[in-house]
Amino acid sequence: MRRRAGVGAIQKQKLEQEKYKDKGNEIQENQFEQMTKQLEVFRVNLEEFATKHKNEIRKNAQFRKQFQDMCASIGVDPLASGKGFWSVLGIGDFYYELAVQIVEVCLATSYKNGGLIGLGELRTRLIKARGQGKQHQEISQDDLICAARKLKIFGSGFSVVSVGKGQYMVQSVPGELSMDHTAIIERVANSNKAFTSVSMLREELNWEATRAQKALDHLLLEGLVWIDLQDVTEKLYYFPSLFTACINATN
Amino acid sequence: MDKMPEQFEFPWQHSFPPFFTLQPHSETRARQISVWRALILDYFRFAKTCTLDIREASHHPLFNNASINRKLDNEFILAALSDLQRTQNAAPVDKQRHRWEIYWHTLEEWGNLIYNYVTNRGATGSVLTLFELTQGEDVQDEEFCGLETDVLVKALRVLEGEGKCEVITSDDLEGVKFF
Repeated sequence: MRRRAGVGAIQKQKLEQEKYKDKGNEIQENQFEQMTKQLEVFRVNLEEFATKHKNEIRKNAQFRKQFQDMCASIGVDPLASGKGFWSVLGIGDFYYELAVQIVEVCLATSYKNGGLIGLGELRTRLIKARGQGKQHQEISQDDLICAARKLKIFGSGFSVVSVGKGQYMVQSVPGELSMDHTAIIERVANSNKAFTSVSMLREELNWEATRAQKALDHLLLEGLVWIDLQDVTEKLYYFPSLFTACINATN
Repeated sequence: MDKMPEQFEFPWQHSFPPFFTLQPHSETRARQISVWRALILDYFRFAKTCTLDIREASHHPLFNNASINRKLDNEFILAALSDLQRTQNAAPVDKQRHRWEIYWHTLEEWGNLIYNYVTNRGATGSVLTLFELTQGEDVQDEEFCGLETDVLVKALRVLEGEGKCEVITSDDLEGVKFF
């Protein structure tokens, strides 16, 4: 029978473990230090880059998009804070300003579209509202999406709804839209009509009648669609936000 | 050459089919009614008329957009007119509430417009015929030019109540004296 280890052996083992632990810590610290250094270098470079190209970032929509993409790919959000070194650049400010203007346009048009607006219409109205003086600051759809997404921090009141094929709509009324609702909006946005109906949804999305009716009732309740009872075949549900004459109306 | 009278320009809602169906959702309905209110007043201001018979209204181009095959039913028209009545912008003429007068200016506003015109011309104290007031050469540029006599008299009655004029009606003369 083998003798079990005595007190001495246990102590020795403990000592060894501690040594390993120390070494481990040392390595970890080293790595951490190096990482911090690297990050610092990177931060400085990014800052330098951003400062150097500040004007281009502000003025050139495409450049701004690329800068955003670059930041996104390394997990940096230049809009996350108005403080710190990013505030020097005024990039955050640019988007904050946009966000405020988006809210303004949404509120100004909600009386007619119920708080759902296509990104294209939003952009047209926003650019018009910004006036001639700032026309050098071209606003792209990417900028708008970027700024509108920031509005999420105010709760469910603002959200960007993707309606497929690179099209987006901004919803500015409280209340979440479910998958079914977005699916309906997407269907209608990608048709050349501004309305849908239970039978159209049954046909296009393979839904049961009750499912379609429930989703449409909800949209009606949210004020996003208007009902038309004068069609000879069935009830039609219209999105003013997708109705061309409404989109183009000046008031 | 005389300028052709321009066509009335309908707002986009007039070509939006559900605009002609009373909306069940309260907020949407409130918006819908308010657009109809403004549209009715604008249209009557443009057409320079004041009278409307609900029984014939479903053929009226204002309430019936043939190009999209949508029209308001009488109940809806009555609801819109009642809403206008609430703000003194319309009033039924008969008990059945079939015939209506539309006031794109309220009677009080009409009265003030006329009274301001008269005082600006220094015509207080003199008697003007109703014809002069709405058809005369001097009033051609005034907004109340061509105002229907029934409405004119009602507006003058309001002024009379304020002691600003006296409406004189005898068989051969319809006139008004301003104070």
